[in-house]
Amino acid sequence: MSRAELVSRKRYEVLFAALGLLALAIAVLTFLTLFVDMAVKGLPRLDLDFFTSFPSRRAANAGILSAWVGSTLVMLVTALFAVPLGVASGIYLEEYAPKNWMTDLIEINITNLAGVPSIVYGLLALGLFVYQFGLGQSILTAGLTLALLILPVVIVATREAIRSIPQIIREGSYALGATRWQTVRYHILPYSSPGILTGIIIGMARAIGETAPIITIGALTFIAFLPPAPVSAAPPFLSFEWLTSPFTVMPIQMFNWTSRPEAAFQANAAAAGFVLVFMTLAMNGLAIWLRYRLRRNIRW
Amino acid sequence: MSEHASKQYDLDLGSIRSRVLAMGGLVESQIRRALDALATGDVALSDEVVAADHRVNAMEVALDGDCSQLIVRRQPAAGDLRMIFAITKTVTDLERIGDEAQKIARMAKNIQERGGGTLARPMVEVRHTAEAAISMLRRTLDAFARLDVDTAREVIRDDAAVDTEFRSVLRQLITFMMEDPRTISTALDIVWVAKAIERIGDHAKNMAEYVIYIVEGTDVRHTQIP
Amino acid sequence: MSAPETMINELVTKAEVRDLSFYYGDFRALHGIGMPVHERRVTALIGPSGCGKSTFLRCFNRMHDLYPGNRYEGQIVLHPENTDLLAREVDPIEVRMRIGMVFQKPNPFPKTVFENVAYGLRVRGEGSRRVIEDKVEQALHDAALWEEVKDRLRQPAYNLSGGQQQRLCIARALATDPELLLFDEPTSALDPIATASIEELMHDLKQRVTILIVTHNMQQAARVSDFTAYMYLGQLIEFGVTDDLFIKPKMKQTEDYITGRFG
Repeated sequence: MSRAELVSRKRYEVLFAALGLLALAIAVLTFLTLFVDMAVKGLPRLDLDFFTSFPSRRAANAGILSAWVGSTLVMLVTALFAVPLGVASGIYLEEYAPKNWMTDLIEINITNLAGVPSIVYGLLALGLFVYQFGLGQSILTAGLTLALLILPVVIVATREAIRSIPQIIREGSYALGATRWQTVRYHILPYSSPGILTGIIIGMARAIGETAPIITIGALTFIAFLPPAPVSAAPPFLSFEWLTSPFTVMPIQMFNWTSRPEAAFQANAAAAGFVLVFMTLAMNGLAIWLRYRLRRNIRW
Repeated sequence: MSEHASKQYDLDLGSIRSRVLAMGGLVESQIRRALDALATGDVALSDEVVAADHRVNAMEVALDGDCSQLIVRRQPAAGDLRMIFAITKTVTDLERIGDEAQKIARMAKNIQERGGGTLARPMVEVRHTAEAAISMLRRTLDAFARLDVDTAREVIRDDAAVDTEFRSVLRQLITFMMEDPRTISTALDIVWVAKAIERIGDHAKNMAEYVIYIVEGTDVRHTQIP
Repeated sequence: MSAPETMINELVTKAEVRDLSFYYGDFRALHGIGMPVHERRVTALIGPSGCGKSTFLRCFNRMHDLYPGNRYEGQIVLHPENTDLLAREVDPIEVRMRIGMVFQKPNPFPKTVFENVAYGLRVRGEGSRRVIEDKVEQALHDAALWEEVKDRLRQPAYNLSGGQQQRLCIARALATDPELLLFDEPTSALDPIATASIEELMHDLKQRVTILIVTHNMQQAARVSDFTAYMYLGQLIEFGVTDDLFIKPKMKQTEDYITGRFG
C-alpha cells in the first residue's frame, strides 16, 4: 500500500519539476530569441567606425559615439549622486534612526518609491531641475533624475546588506569600547559593501536603459557632437562645462533609429541594442564577481 | 528529602541506602551468632560465622562499586555528595565490624578446642558489654535510615561507656590470670573477644559521626560532643 | 586546594553591586541584587534558564544601553575610584573600555587574526604600530594562542577552529588591559577539549584580571570559580565561596538546584 503512495507522490514531484523547467525554458528561450535576432541583424554593423562615428542621415555612416559617451557621462553623474546619498541614508536608517513610527513610515515610502513609473520621475525632473533650478536639458539634469530613480534601490540594498550583519558582531565591536561611528566605519560598511555594491550596479544597470525620463527632460535625439571634455591641456585643467551640455543616450539613439523606415537603420538599432544589452550584462556580471570576491571572508 | 528531577537517580540512591541497611543487619546477626557460639560452645556455628564473612566482604565491594558509578553518572553535590561520601565510609566500618564478629567466632572455637569451659564471672560482663555494643550498632543504623542526628549523638556519647566496661573486663581477667595461671590461655581468648566488642562500639560511633556529617555538613570526627 | 580562611584575608573588592534592579520596559528582570566581586578571583553566576544571570552580567558593561527601553536602578560601584558604572553621567563607552566581554558564540570579526586583536587598540586611537604589535603579541600569549597563530597573523580569523576562535576573542578583550572580564557562557558552543583549554586559561588569567562568568554548567562553576552566586527569577538567592556552596549550601533553593531537585 505504502509503495503505491510513494509512487504517486513521486509522480507529483516529477510533474512539478517538469512544469518549473517548462516555465524557465519559456523565459530563457524568449530572451535568447530576441537577443539572437538582434545579434543577427546588428552584428554585421559592429565595427570600429560604428563606435567612433556620430549619427548621420546616411545609415551606413551612422554611429553611436555621442550616444555611448552621453550614456557614460550620465551614468557618472548618476553614480556620483545616488551612491553617497543612498548609502548614507541606508546607514542612517539602520544604525542611527530610532525605531519609531516615523522611521517605519519613511521605510514604507522608500520601498514604494521603487515602484513609481519612471516617467513620473521625468516629469518631476522637468519641473524641478529643468525649470525651477534652471539646470537646463543637460547631462546634470539627466544624472540627477536617474539618481532619484535608483535611490530607493540603493537604499534598500544598503539596508538589506546591513541587516544581514549579525548583531553579535556589532556587540563585539561595542564591547571593546568603540563608538557608533567607529563600528560603522570598521565593521558595518566593510561587511555590507558587497551587498551595497551589488545594489549600486544593479541600479545602474537599470538606469542605463531608462528612456522615458530622459526624453521627458529633453534629451535630444540627433546629437552630432560630443559634450566638452572634462580635462583640458590649458588651465584650469578641470572643466565642468560638460555637465550643462546637451546630450543623448543609447536608448534614445536606438529609439530614433527604429522610428526610421529604412532597413539599414533597423540594423543600426539592432547593433546599438546589442551593445546596450551587452553593457547591461557586463555590469551585472561585474556585480556578481565583485560580490563573490568581497564576500569571501564573510561567514554568515 | 524531595525527589530528584531524574527518577533513576532516586532509585539508584535508594537502592544503595537500603543495601547499606541490609549489610548492617547481616553484620548484626553475625555478632549475635558469634556470641551464641561462644556461650554454647557450638563449633559448627563458629565455622558458619567465619565462612559467612565472605558475604559481608562481597557486599562491601558491590556497594563501593555502585557508589563509584553514582559519582561518575551524577556528579553529586551538597547533601547528595555528603551522603555518598558518608556511605562509602560507613560501608568500610561495617565490613570491619564483620571482621570483629569473625574474630569472636574464632576465639569461641579456640576455647572449645582447648577443652571448653569459659570463665563465668567475666563472661557476664562481656555479655553485657556486647549487648551495649549491639545496641549502639542498631541505633546508629536507625539514625542513618532516618537521618536522625539526636540518636546519632546519643550513640557517640555511649561509646565512652563501652570503653569503660572493656577496661573493667580487662582488669577482671588480669586478676584471674594472676590468681590461676592455668586459666591464662582461655582468659587471653576472652580478652580478644572483649577487644573485638570494644572495636565494634568504635565503629558504630564512627558511623554515627557520618550521619551528623550528612545532615549538618559538619565533620565531627575527633572532636568532643557536648 | 587552599584553605578558605587565608583566601578571605587577602580579598580585595573590585566591584560592589548595590541593590541592583533592571527593567526591560515594564518588565522587572532583576530584583535588588547585592553582592561583591572580588579582585583577581573568578566569580560564577549560576541558575536555571531565564533567571537573569546574563541580564545581570550585561549590566556591568552597559550593554543594555545599546537597545531602547531599558532602565537600571541601583549601583555597580567600581573600585578603587568608587565610580558608579550605572550613573547617567558615566559614558558607557568609558565603561566598556575598562571592562571586557567574551560572548557565548565565538564572534571573531571577518578580518585577519592580527586585526581582530588590534581592534580594541585602534578604536582607542593607538597609532604606534610598534605598540600595537607588542600588545597583540602579549595578548595572544596571555590567551595561550600565540604558538598556534604566530605564523598566521595575517590570515582570516575564520580559518581558526572553534576553540581557537574563542581564545582569539579572549585575546581581543585582553589586548586593552581590562580590569574586569565578563564571560557569557564562553564554552557552551565548544567541544570538551576546547572547553578544558579555556577553563585552564581562566585559571591563569585570574592572576591578572578579575573574572565574572555566567555558566549553565554547574560542574564548570565548581571547577573554575572561587565564588559562586545562585540566581533564580531575577533574584540573588545565595552567594558564597564555591566549595562551601557546592558542599554545604545555606539555602534550600540552592541545594535543590545543584542536586537536580525541583520539589
